[in-house]
This record gives sequence, C-alpha cells and structure tokens, in this order.
Amino acid sequence: MASSTTTVSRPAPFRGIGRSLLLTLPMALWSLLIFAPTFRTPEHDHQISSLLVITFMTTLFFLMMRTGKTYRWRRIFFVAVGFLFPVGFISSLIALRGSMSIPIERMVTGDTPFCYMVFPMLIVPAALTRTLIFPGSILPTESNPHSIAAMIALWLGMTLVLGKAWCGYACFFGGIEEGFSSIAKRPRIRRIDPRFRLVPWAILLFVVLLSAALFEPVYCSWLCPFKAVTEFPSVHSIESAIQTAIFIMLFAGLVVLLPLLSKKRTQCAFFCPFGAFQSIFNKIHLFTIRFDREKCVDCSLCQSVCPMMAISPESVREGKTLLNCMKCGACVDSCRKGAAVWHLKGTKVGLHPERARLFFLYGAWAMATMFGGYILANAIDMTLHFLPFHF
Amino acid sequence: MSAIHFIPIPAFASIGEALLLGLTTGPVCLASCGPAVVPWMLAQPSSVRSQSKQLLLFLVARLAGYLLFATGVWVLGTTMMRAFAAHTWTMGAIQVFLAASLLVFAAGWPRLRRHEKQNAELVHIGKPIRQKRSGALTLGFLTGINFCPPFLVASVRGAQLLTLPATLIFFLSFFAGTAVWFTPYFFLGLVRRTQTCVLVARITAVLLACWYGISGISILIARLIHG
Amino acid sequence: MRNRISTFLAYLGAGLTLLIAALVPFVLMGAFTNAIAHAGLHVDENYTGGSVARVLERNGYKILIYQPVRPHFLQRTVPFVQIAFEPVSALPAEVNEVIDLDSDGKPDVQIRFKTPADPQTALHGDALALDGKFLSFENIGNDSFSRMVIRIGNRILVRVPMSH
Repeated sequence: MASSTTTVSRPAPFRGIGRSLLLTLPMALWSLLIFAPTFRTPEHDHQISSLLVITFMTTLFFLMMRTGKTYRWRRIFFVAVGFLFPVGFISSLIALRGSMSIPIERMVTGDTPFCYMVFPMLIVPAALTRTLIFPGSILPTESNPHSIAAMIALWLGMTLVLGKAWCGYACFFGGIEEGFSSIAKRPRIRRIDPRFRLVPWAILLFVVLLSAALFEPVYCSWLCPFKAVTEFPSVHSIESAIQTAIFIMLFAGLVVLLPLLSKKRTQCAFFCPFGAFQSIFNKIHLFTIRFDREKCVDCSLCQSVCPMMAISPESVREGKTLLNCMKCGACVDSCRKGAAVWHLKGTKVGLHPERARLFFLYGAWAMATMFGGYILANAIDMTLHFLPFHF
Repeated sequence: MSAIHFIPIPAFASIGEALLLGLTTGPVCLASCGPAVVPWMLAQPSSVRSQSKQLLLFLVARLAGYLLFATGVWVLGTTMMRAFAAHTWTMGAIQVFLAASLLVFAAGWPRLRRHEKQNAELVHIGKPIRQKRSGALTLGFLTGINFCPPFLVASVRGAQLLTLPATLIFFLSFFAGTAVWFTPYFFLGLVRRTQTCVLVARITAVLLACWYGISGISILIARLIHG
Repeated sequence: MRNRISTFLAYLGAGLTLLIAALVPFVLMGAFTNAIAHAGLHVDENYTGGSVARVLERNGYKILIYQPVRPHFLQRTVPFVQIAFEPVSALPAEVNEVIDLDSDGKPDVQIRFKTPADPQTALHGDALALDGKFLSFENIGNDSFSRMVIRIGNRILVRVPMSH
C-alpha cells in the first residue's frame, strides 16, 4: 500500500565516511605542514587563525570527497578568500600608513607589493631592456615581503600545478565576483553575446603592446577594477582623479552589478587580461573537463551554469570546453547524465573520471591551502587583533 | 633658414653611425610601432608569404615617412626641428590620425556575426580572410613620421650633414638599422587565423584607437589652453 | 600499445604535478625567487632614481648625485637627476645648496628646503635651474617621479627635472 505522504529522498552520498576521511587525510596533513611554523610562534592569535583555516580547508575537502561534488565547496572557499583578502590587506595598509592610497615615497623605495596581474605587461620591456616596469623591490624586504621575484616565483610554481585553474582556486579577486554572482536565485540578464568572451584577449594584447611602448603598466594605471579593494596611487592630479573614477566604475559595474544580474563572473570572463594569459596554459595543462558524447543529450545545462561561459554548443559537440575553462566543476556537478566528466589528457574520456578529479583536486587544493589559506589566516588574524580581548 | 652648422663627415662614417644608431635604438621602434602593427597584422590573411608582403609594404611606407622627415630636417634645420619636435600640434595630430586609421581599418575587417561558431580552440586553422582595406601604407607612413626619441636624435645628426642626399642616405641607413628589429613581426604570419583571431585584433585596434585618440585630443586641447 | 603508453605518460604527468605541488612552498619558490633575482633585472630607474654617480662631502652630511634618468621608449616622463641629502639628522635647519650636477665646473641648480624636525611633516622645497639643461620648480613636495622633494628614512631626496 502506497504511503499517503511523499518523502523527498536525499541522493546517496558519493562515498562512505571512512573512505572520504581516508582521502582527506593527505590534505589534512598538508594543511598542518603548511601552517606548522605558526604553531612555533608564541602568538596565540596566529595559532587560532591557522587552526581555523586548517579546519575550514580540511572540512571542505572532506565534503568534496563525501559528496563527489566540487563546485559548491570550492566556491565557499573562494568567496571567503575574495571577501577576506581585502579585509586583511586593507587593515595592514591602514596599520602601516593610515591609508589605502600609495604615496609616491613608497613607490620610490620599492615598497609596493607586487600583484601577479602586472606580470604579462612586464615581459616585453624586461626582454628588451632588462627593466621591470613596476615600483617594487626585486627581493623581499622587511617592509615589502611581496617582492617581484617572490611573487613571480609563486605564480610560476602555482601555474605549473593549476594552469588556468588559478582563476578558480587562487585568484583572490575572483572570489568577490563569485560571491556576488551567487546571490540572486535567477539571472536577470540571460543572454550575453558570446563574442564578449574575446574581449579579455583583446585587452591582454592592448595592455601588453601599450605597456611595452609607454614603459608603464597600463592595466594597473588605467583599467584595474580591484584598486577599489586594494591600493591605488594617491590622487594628486586630474589624470589620477580620472584613473580613480575609472577603477571605481569598473569595480561597481563588472565586479558587483553585472555578476549580480547575470550570475556570471563578468569581470573574469569578459575583461580580465590576466585570465586570458592564464588560459594559454590550458593548452598544456594535463587536467581538463570533457563531454562524453554518448551520454550527452545537449540539454545545455552545463552552458547555463558555467560562470565563465567557457562552454559553447560547438565545443560540447567537440566534447570539450573552451580555452577559458577554469575547472571549477560547475558543469560536472550539474550534468544529470554524467556526460561532463573530469579528464586527464592522454587517457580515455569517461574511463576513470573520479581518478582524474582526485589527481587534480589534490594539487589544486594543496595550492589553495598554501595561498588562499594564508590569505584567510592573515585576515582572521587582523580581525582578532581588532577585538577588545586577546588570546 | 635658421643657423645650421654643417659638419663635413665622410659618407661611410655617417652611414655607419646611422646604421648603428638604428640598431641600438631599434627596440624603441619595435615597441612603439607594436600597437599599430600587431593588431593590423593579426587581422591579415594567414600565410607567412602574404604577411611578409604586407609588412614590406608597411616598411616601404615607413621609409617614405622617414625620407620626408629627413627632407624637412635638412631644409628647416636643427633649431626649427627642435621647435617643430616640441610642437605638440604635430604629435597630437599624428595620434588622432593614427586613431582614426585604426578605427577605419578595424571597421573594414571581416565581422564575426553573432551566430557564427565559436570553436573549442581559440585560434586554429580556418579559411583565409579577405581584407577590404589593408592599411599597410597608411599605418606605415604614420609610424614613419612619428616623433619618437630615436627619431629626434637621428634628426639632430641628420640636419648637420652637408647635402640633402647625405641626409637622405643617413636616414635610409638609420631606417635599415631600425628595420632589422621588425624581423619578429614577420613571425606573426605563423599564427593561424580564424575569424575569432580577427575579432580579437579588431577589438584591440579599437581599444588602441581610443587610447591614441584620447591622448592626441588631450595634447591638442592642452596646447589650445596653454598656447 | 599506443593507448597504454599515453595512459602511462598521462598518469606520470599527473604524479609529477602532485610532486611539483608538494615542492612549491618548500623548494621551488625559493629556487625560482633566486633565479629571478639573479636574472640581471632591475626596477625602472624612473621609480628608483638610478645609481649614484658622485658623492659630495659637506659639513657632517653628504650629497649624493645620481646618474640622469631618461625616459625609456615612449615613456611619458620627464628626464631628471636625483640628489640625496643624508643623514637628515645632520642637515642644517635650512638647506641652501648650489650644486654642479654634470661635473662641468659650472653650477647647475640651487636647491632650497627647510629640514623638518618632525619626520611626519610634509616636506616642500625649491630648485632654481642655473643651467638651461634643468628646469626650476617652487614649493614642490611629492609631485611626480621627475619632480619631488621627499623624505625617505634618514635621507631627503630631491629630483630636478631636465629639459628634453
């Protein structure tokens, strides 16, 4: 006899608790290893923030293993980094110099922290004249640990592991957009011209060519929306006032408003030249997302959930994503037919997708813990310092 | 004519000097012409052969600009050239013309319609694109008369030579030295073209046109205000 | 056979990626940082002020004269010469120096500024060009990279712009 009440059954977990814990163990150990130095310091604030981050990252990884889903847990981490990075960064700026604006004195002494987004613009001038067009210091100093060499080294190491997945697991700016894009239940802007996907490439070419000619980091001077949440040259002229107005408008439009309305990472997908630069590494990166044509029913759900518009009908027919895929896993998690799968290049599509996913996630989450985890710990630390009581 | 100090220099010495000046300052030409050359070349038909043809046309037009400038240098003299060089009207006007040219050529390149296919690879082998307007001569000439720092150095030396043919040969040698540095641009022909690539080139050209346009207009406005 | 080789290589690559991930914070970052630091690169002199050309000894303090810094390529900056006065603690209350910047035996510029007792006080100064190669300015602080009078630690930096 049928029951009169209908119950909604929850989908069975992907993996048992025991196996999930076992798979999480290496990541837990890695987190402890990364944050071990903080436990040797006498400052309890550092230890508490490190412990919180270790727990946070390990729990999210466990949930990835347990549920078999990647996107929603990755997003929690990523949005946390996106919103907490400015907290930590701005707090440290105010503590150091009382303002977000960079006085010219700091640029003369090379105390400007190096931002990886400058990197594509440095290449041509450095190749032609061995000159770095950034007011930083080459080696870390006491007043500027984020030196040019250290940050480029960090980018290089992480890019070898992540490739374009940098945009999904490392970039501390992308999380802000991802957060705003997650707020609305349904997008107000549903149709976006796919040609906008090419704009980041054009902007990349534009800033690289112009920076080489003018010998200044043009993107940083004129186009970076994230100066609104980091630091910017002090306003002392009409030109600098115009530059400030531009970055505020770009931030408001591309990072806040459009993601809210479209549920896409509009700055990342349609503007960011560094994202275009990182896309080049998708050509050689071993991990990718593929579509099993035998299972795919062309429902286009993957295309609608992709935050980067990195899937087109033609690419699905070819069984691939576009070059700007950041391997966030949204399409894989949403595909009802299991057609969208994680893939290790060189292996048969769909044969061992979970194995490919595990290989990818161990590397990506290790980098995320090292880099994003550090940002989170720093932000928590700064917040704890502002509390009236101390540990 | 302003006072000009003509310096008798053996022909081979001035050729050598100009060639060396061109070679050493060539990176400036490579970088400063990049914004005009690269998007334009990326929108051209794919083969290395046709690209080379277009680039050679560009260089010939650039040489024409150099020689016209050389003639002006010799006739007007160094004092006039320095005043002329400092004359921001010309710089502003050249930038506005360059912006307009880039916009016109970008408009003339084939359009990627909305429904056209986006392939999985950003750039891969596609059909050759037919160009309505090439732009080699205009862009070449505009970059040839642009007042970049090595050009001004060359103009000071060139104006000191005895005869007009000597000045022209000086600038020809200077041009040869800088042209060597354009070799990397020939390799842009190896980049396989699709309509996607052309669209990226068009958007880049429009962005650069905006930059040059705004820069040129602000120079002209500043000149108008300050006199 | 070919599939097996490609599968083997794929998993080898995946394993190497994990190895690289493990090595990044402990080995690779340090190695890459050193490699980049020793690549012979330098920060644009427009920011740093260039290298010291000469040192003039004064009564208890030094004047460091730097190499002229000229724009690279189409850089939209004015060429300048940087002059440093150090240590600030040994400077008189008012500095008024006539300096020969290009070692031609003729004075080029007269620098004037009041040494503030409080390091937090904004600094301003004048530079009077005595030679047509340089440009004068009045009451300038941290105006631009080519024209400034600023305090950095225990030294005061003055940048005098040059005519093109």
